[in-house]
Amino acid sequence: MNTEAQRLTRDEVGGIVKMLSLTTDHELDCGECLRHVGEYAEGRLANQPLAEAIAGVEQHLALCPECREEFEALMRILQAGQ
Amino acid sequence: MTPSEINWPAALRAPDSGEQAAAMRALRDLLHSGLRMALGSRTDVSEAHLEDFAQESLLRVLDRLDQFQGRSQFTTWAQAIALNTAFTELRRKRWQDVSLDALLANGERLADPAMIADDVLGGDEERTRLVAALRHAIEHDLTTKQRAAILAELREMPFDQIVELLGTSRSAAYKMLHDARRALKQRLHEAGITGNDINQAFNP
Repeated sequence: MNTEAQRLTRDEVGGIVKMLSLTTDHELDCGECLRHVGEYAEGRLANQPLAEAIAGVEQHLALCPECREEFEALMRILQAGQ
Repeated sequence: MTPSEINWPAALRAPDSGEQAAAMRALRDLLHSGLRMALGSRTDVSEAHLEDFAQESLLRVLDRLDQFQGRSQFTTWAQAIALNTAFTELRRKRWQDVSLDALLANGERLADPAMIADDVLGGDEERTRLVAALRHAIEHDLTTKQRAAILAELREMPFDQIVELLGTSRSAAYKMLHDARRALKQRLHEAGITGNDINQAFNP
């Protein structure tokens, strides 16, 4: 194996560091995020303060690129419907 | 009647099969329209894909009707499910040829200290110390599966694919990754590296 070629890049190590900086003891998983993301998206569009129950959505979206991708698509759909 | 004025859960459960079928057609069209807006410009998504995603999404929404709690508009809740359905399938296709052996081999490689260069975040003393502590924690505090899953996430393997390859449930896989991140963070903390140090290393 060519270890040199397999080394982690700066972005990958930075990605681990970023994940750790965002890690908390209690987090939503992807399924919980999906259950609450509609309420979170509507609250964001209306500039409403986040209810405690959905505050974890924001933290999960910062950590999870897949849920973030889906959230951003949902926001585009909701914005187009306004 | 606009979509926001329809009582969707009631209409989709209507005992009158005509009313129920009309509601299902209207919801399917709404989901299709949203999916087209979200995915229509992608070169890997055809009209046939959009049709399939809309149909599959409708079935998933119907299957989960009892889970709708009314904390958002019904259509927002349903669109979120449709987007999750479509993106999950697109990601699965992209990664379908990756094997568990390859995933675990990557996890083994991540235990090799040579995988992370001392100066990968820059050459100053603080970042070198952070990298050394991180490398030590990855090598000693994580299992092969945890290392593999973290590396797969970094390389943007879809979470559902990681779950499938590891042969576990979504919640168990998420817990495994969460435990891994907490273990690494705790080890850095024990090494005297604070959350602020971590943030500064990544965002100088």
